[in-house]
Amino acid sequence: MHIPDGFLSTPVWLTLNAVGAPAVGLLARRAQRESGDIKAPLLGVMGAFVFAAQMINFPVGMGTSGHLVGSALLAYTVGPAAAAVVMTAILALQALVFQDGGILALGANVFNMAIVGVMAAYLPYRQFGRGRMRTFAIFLGGLLSVLTAACLALSELLLSGVRMPGPVVTVSLGLILVCAVAEGAITVAVIRAIERVNAGWIRGPEAMGKPALGFIATAALLLVTLGGLVASSSPDTLESFAEQVGIADQARSLFETPFADYQARFFEADWLAQAAAGLAGLALIFGLGLGLGKLLRNRRAAGRPANAAGGD
Amino acid sequence: MHHVVLERWSRGGSFLHARDPRVKILAALAILVAIATTPPQTAAPFAAYAILLIGASAASGLPVSGVLARAAVVLPFSATFAAISWVSGDPERAAALVLKSYLSATAALVLIGTTPMPKLLLGLEKLGAPRMIVLVALFLYRYLFIVSEQAQHMLQAAAARGGLFGKARPLRFRAAGGAVAVLFGHSYQRAVGIHRAMLSRGFEGRLMPASALALTVTDALFLGGALVLAFASRLSAGAGL
Repeated sequence: MHIPDGFLSTPVWLTLNAVGAPAVGLLARRAQRESGDIKAPLLGVMGAFVFAAQMINFPVGMGTSGHLVGSALLAYTVGPAAAAVVMTAILALQALVFQDGGILALGANVFNMAIVGVMAAYLPYRQFGRGRMRTFAIFLGGLLSVLTAACLALSELLLSGVRMPGPVVTVSLGLILVCAVAEGAITVAVIRAIERVNAGWIRGPEAMGKPALGFIATAALLLVTLGGLVASSSPDTLESFAEQVGIADQARSLFETPFADYQARFFEADWLAQAAAGLAGLALIFGLGLGLGKLLRNRRAAGRPANAAGGD
Repeated sequence: MHHVVLERWSRGGSFLHARDPRVKILAALAILVAIATTPPQTAAPFAAYAILLIGASAASGLPVSGVLARAAVVLPFSATFAAISWVSGDPERAAALVLKSYLSATAALVLIGTTPMPKLLLGLEKLGAPRMIVLVALFLYRYLFIVSEQAQHMLQAAAARGGLFGKARPLRFRAAGGAVAVLFGHSYQRAVGIHRAMLSRGFEGRLMPASALALTVTDALFLGGALVLAFASRLSAGAGL
């Protein structure tokens, strides 16, 4: 789901650009360190591949078809940091050339799909990417990449005050879940087919952590994303409550002071509180993501000599 | 195809085409910010943005109807959300969603329609975008249509063989997976080949543009004018607020 310009309220797009830009800068430096500046031509062609692969339809069921989104596939083939860089380049070109997603909303779309989406795709693969759970990890990665990105997009729209009644949110969630499962299945099918052609094209997970930690990290990411969605949709019910109160006040003011602009001021304050609460939630998600990343990196740094010793 | 049209548009020779990509990017951002921050219940600023953007595309020789038609790709998405907003009793926001997303897409098209992609990306890099991402985007744009055409050929060939039709769903699913895998293999090998060719020609991970960007007084005046116009349009809500 690419958010176009004009949908997000100013605090939301401003914050997500402010958060997304340095994060992408960091990831770009990391990708540069891992694969070197000179790998850019290779990554660019892989980005073109993701674009083109979206033309190939997969039968999803009930007469509809889906296509590969690709963040999970990229993460498993070029590595997570490079995948985030490629996704960012894809989103930027989609916004510029195809008017698919806005330019001011680029920060939001990059945050949802290139940063959190790729991280959500890689987390299960990293933990369970070897051994018996491998296929399930790939499926889960594809599923989570779409689920987290779409839930974040939905919460950002709700935070911006785009009206969506409860049933609409529920139906959207259902559709998102169907798309997420489809992406998981498609990713598994494509990875299997690629492995039959050349297994060397799929990168093994960097390191295996303790399964328990993987479960906790994956569950935490899922919970925070879904929690963010619930938190951003509940101000909606708050708002409707406030509306009722406002109407009650208006009814009273008919008797006392006609045209009191109490209601307008009330709504302004409410809108500010809503945006602040939501942005705090998003900041929390981001902080958690960074923290998790750091934790995993430290563990890897600590675990490497031990693994080497174990290998001997 | 889409890109051919944009490529043709962006190679024009108008005043707007000749401006430095950096000032065009900043001018486009200014009008996008103005559009994004306009309160929904006003009409005058939106009319002003529309006049500005249509004027800019006409002045730079872009086909105005073509620009307006191309920008309409955002409408299905915004119309859906607008309808939901309308039904839940917020017609002002519904109108604003459609207007803002449509005008923003038009602004993006005026920028991309007057700036060739390599120049635009170079401008973005000079404005501080990470070099790695600019490079990846550049190669992505270069090979996007080549790989897409290959995908199209594969689909056509599969259709000619009757490959993707009338089979049971699991089989078609597997076949589509195989098609993506083959496309991946072709792309990967192409990517490695291009990478090696670039290295052998002395590529060190940065672009060497044939002509460096240079800001002129006209560019500065253009940017100043664009900022004033965007700001003035935004304020034309005036007493209407």
